[in-house]
Amino acid sequence: MITGKGITKTFRQRGGMLGAREVPALRGVDFSIEKGGAVSFIGESGCGKTTLGRILAGLESYDSGEIVIDGVPMSSLRPKQRQPHFRRVQLIHQDPYSALNPARTIHQTLDAPLTLRAKQTGRSRSWIDERAEELLGLVGLDPGYVLPRYPHQLSGGMRQRVVIARALTVDPDMLVADEATSMIDVSLRLGILGLLKDLRDRLGVSVLFITHDVATARYIGLDGELYVIYRGQVVERGPVETVISDPVHPYTQSLLSAIPVLHGLEVPGAERVVPTEAIDAAQPDAGCLFAARCPFRTERCTSELPVLGHDGGTLQEHACFHPQRRSVVATPAVAS
Amino acid sequence: MTATTIMPEARSASATLRRNFWRGVWRVMKRKPSRMAGVVIMAGFAFMGVFGPMFYPEHLPRDTSALYAPPSWAHPFGTDFEGTDVLALVITGSRYVLLTGLVTAVITVVLGAGIGLFAGFRRGRWDSVLMRITDMKLTIPGLPLMLVLSTIWKFTSAIEMGLVLGLLGWGGVARAVRSQTLSLRERGFVEAARGLGLSTPHIIGRELLPSMAPYIAMNMLIAVTGAVYAQVGLFFLGVLPFEANNWGVMLNLAVFGGGALTTTAALPYLLAPLLAILLLTLGIVLVVDAMDEIFNPRLREE
Amino acid sequence: MSVTSDKRAPGVRISDLSVVYRTGAGELPAVRGVDLELEPGTITGVVGESGSGKSTLALSMLNAVQPPGRIRSGSVEIDGLGDVVTLGGDDLRKTRGRHVGYVFQAAQNSLNPLKTVGKQLLDLGRSHDVDDLPGLVKEARSLLDRMGLDGARVLDSYQHELSGGMRQRVGIMLALVLNAHVVVLDEPTTALDMITQATILRIIREVHEERGLTTLVITHDLGVVAEIADRLAVMYGGRLVEQGPTREVLGAPKHPYTQGLLQAIPRLVGDIDEARALPGRPPTLGTIPPDGCVFRERCAVRMDVCETGEPPVLTIGPRVVACHTAAGDGEQKETVTTGPTRGEEQA
Ligand SMILES: Nc1ncnc2c1ncn2[C@@H]1O[C@H](COP(=O)(O)OP(=O)(O)OP(=O)(O)O)[C@@H](O)[C@H]1O
Ligand SMILES: Nc1ncnc2c1ncn2[C@@H]1O[C@H](COP(=O)(O)OP(=O)(O)OP(=O)(O)O)[C@@H](O)[C@H]1O
Ligand code: SF4
Ligand code: SF4
Ligand SMILES: [Mg+2]
Ligand SMILES: [Mg+2]
Repeated sequence: MITGKGITKTFRQRGGMLGAREVPALRGVDFSIEKGGAVSFIGESGCGKTTLGRILAGLESYDSGEIVIDGVPMSSLRPKQRQPHFRRVQLIHQDPYSALNPARTIHQTLDAPLTLRAKQTGRSRSWIDERAEELLGLVGLDPGYVLPRYPHQLSGGMRQRVVIARALTVDPDMLVADEATSMIDVSLRLGILGLLKDLRDRLGVSVLFITHDVATARYIGLDGELYVIYRGQVVERGPVETVISDPVHPYTQSLLSAIPVLHGLEVPGAERVVPTEAIDAAQPDAGCLFAARCPFRTERCTSELPVLGHDGGTLQEHACFHPQRRSVVATPAVAS
Repeated sequence: MTATTIMPEARSASATLRRNFWRGVWRVMKRKPSRMAGVVIMAGFAFMGVFGPMFYPEHLPRDTSALYAPPSWAHPFGTDFEGTDVLALVITGSRYVLLTGLVTAVITVVLGAGIGLFAGFRRGRWDSVLMRITDMKLTIPGLPLMLVLSTIWKFTSAIEMGLVLGLLGWGGVARAVRSQTLSLRERGFVEAARGLGLSTPHIIGRELLPSMAPYIAMNMLIAVTGAVYAQVGLFFLGVLPFEANNWGVMLNLAVFGGGALTTTAALPYLLAPLLAILLLTLGIVLVVDAMDEIFNPRLREE
Repeated sequence: MSVTSDKRAPGVRISDLSVVYRTGAGELPAVRGVDLELEPGTITGVVGESGSGKSTLALSMLNAVQPPGRIRSGSVEIDGLGDVVTLGGDDLRKTRGRHVGYVFQAAQNSLNPLKTVGKQLLDLGRSHDVDDLPGLVKEARSLLDRMGLDGARVLDSYQHELSGGMRQRVGIMLALVLNAHVVVLDEPTTALDMITQATILRIIREVHEERGLTTLVITHDLGVVAEIADRLAVMYGGRLVEQGPTREVLGAPKHPYTQGLLQAIPRLVGDIDEARALPGRPPTLGTIPPDGCVFRERCAVRMDVCETGEPPVLTIGPRVVACHTAAGDGEQKETVTTGPTRGEEQA
């Protein structure tokens, strides 16, 4: 089990003449992922999803907050000692093209981490080769075909499977899949989603799924949780189906309203929330982060910051002063 | 016990890989006849440098009756001011030139790539310090320094010469390798290697280096030509001591002694070393063309 | 989604178009035997996976396929312009921009980073011998304002000062500002946020109707097409395998590929256990089978004849399907190839 409390991260960009510019990427994010559980982060570009994933994989530092991995608070350890813990969280890169070294065969790619693993656990050379084949089988690839090949000889979907197999070499507790399907051909996406779900069931690996495509979150498992992030803050959080079918935060509703409807197959929802375009000047200094774009903003929203909670008796948590259910999601068309 | 039974298998896997690599190289070379020509030229020079001098006596015979003789069957490129065969001079002189080039290239690439990789991978303090040194080094003008150095050091051995040229030449490679390392290190596969806990030597040697191999190989070949020009230039300017069978000295004597620019008698004497340099450059350029395809498995296998 | 029958909107007829790329293995067809009609005033969406030949098809509309590619055969007739494939030189250059506006794939990144948008607009105007440059700027500004931007500010901006969605709108502006009435948009929303995508799609639809355009949208995202296109054409391995009115095709797909694709895309509603990835993988230029059906390797209902026989292109009312299973269908309106799950899912 991995939990995080109040994670904040601000990037300092060295800007031109104006000197350093501060980009707050995460503003106090709480989360927790059970063993074998599934959590999906959704939100628009730049909201901090990737940053959080990278922090969990130990690839990025954070400014404040606490991460607890299997009961061990990371703040109690020195940076060097944290590495083995963070290694139990493996990042699946968005781009399977750049995630594999183009100059190395799949055999070489899997061999390196497995050799390390064998050394750590005192296993023999033969174990390495067996394990490589076993892992490839697990992700649905034919080892005989894949092992001697270079990445460019595989399709996008196969490459992403290899990336997942490589992550599994270190027996991780959690996979962070950052947009893991967005660069894969449409007809093959479901295969990767199904694989992630399968790994949860079979290996008890938990999956943190980062995406801007809300629909994919359902395919990691309906028992999962959905976190909606806006500008570094979690604005709505709850069971996947609840948040998708009964969103209460205007930002979540905007996201869901924006999803194209497959006319002919689906009937659009009765309502549609269209946020106003982001204009920096309209954003109040205090108050709700979404206030500048929110069509339902009131006086209160511009002066006070809403915090995550069950206000208004909603099933899911949300950070809005005026939560209201709106049917923005399409429904399946009844056979015509 | 299991380890012993498995070892040959692992070795055979990497042997297969190596065999495939060379087969790929062969395929890449065959794609363009010009590349094969380049290889032949380079092999020719290598042969000349290694074995050429063995065909001639220590002191080349002089034919005092034929000073500045025109080309003939006996002397394809004529003779020099004291009647020595020019072709023999070029061949015996090649060892020094080529060995210098080789030493320079190795030092340039090893130092440049090593420093560039380390600085780019470590970033931070190491990077600043190393790059400051590199920049300082880059601002030192090479030729004047060599002129100064040559007054106290005679560079009788090619290795010394190559060492000095190499030490002067690695700056550019280091800078370029560093900036490539910086961008590569953000690539998914390097990040993944770090996330998997693989060692730094592994990441630098096995993940970063192969991606830069074409670039490094290219630089190595280009460094050879650079070194040849530099030292021929130095000898040509007469900065370095007289030695008859050196390409640069030959040029010097042809121009300043034989007046090759005004009369035709010494022309072959001038052209022979020039031709050798041009041919070597051509061979290298033709081979460099193949580097990208050799080290990129996609282009190699296609 | 009514079809505006604006008189200005020209029709486009692509007939038997084949485009080949020269590769190490000879000339390979990236687009083969494509027949597609863009009715005046409609939005047609072409959907297909990576490498299916969408961009190549779009480029052919401008006769802009670059070597090593070339149009091997076929014609692209645009009303009031003739066959674009036979145009050349200056005529062709004028056509681009004035008659056919093109928003390139990754238009977000195709602006010149060193020049302001306004400067690039003037360059465009000059290269098309526009006399009234102030008028052009005015038109550009009103288009940008129309798309919800501050036109004056955007014209003064450099590429890096604009967000992805803003750049995309600049791309659309540049395609329309010379008053083109045929517009081709290649992946107009790839790499944009959902919310920005929705905005751009709405703008495309509105501008399309207001200006009376004939629009072709190329995308790999079925949702994009479903949202804005009147007609939908599905591409696979360089072929058009199915086309027809969007709702009809999505509601009752006839081609096994379309059926499989609809089952394979993650959706917000519906039973997730019904969803299936398509087996195999999409073909690349080198692996497209030279004869028989291009989809047969992945087709669940393939027959012996599919190995060798070119699937017949059947017109069934407003719809067109290229599949052997539809062959017995003749001119009937009923679907023979009921998808394995569609009916159940709706029940
Ligand atoms: N290394 C960095 N230096 C400076 N700023 C950064 C850095 N990495 C991220 N940021 C900024 O932090 C914010 C959050 O970025 P992040 O990559 O986490 O977003 P994201 O939600 O993953 O977006 P996307 O959907 O585009 O991947 C952005 O505003 C981004 O510009
Ligand atoms: N310049 C080229 N040289 C060789 N082959 C090419 C070239 N351009 C495209 N192709 C090939 O033609 C086929 C169709 O390419 P095209 O760009 O039209 O596909 P697309 O459907 O637009 O794909 P994407 O969704 O990736 O943009 C592909 O198999 C591609 O590899
Ligand atoms: S708190 Fe106010 S501004 Fe923020 S989302 Fe809720 S209604 Fe909108
Ligand atoms: S022609 Fe045959 S293989 Fe092709 S889609 Fe139809 S049934 Fe399947
Ligand atoms: Mg991201
Ligand atoms: Mg394309």
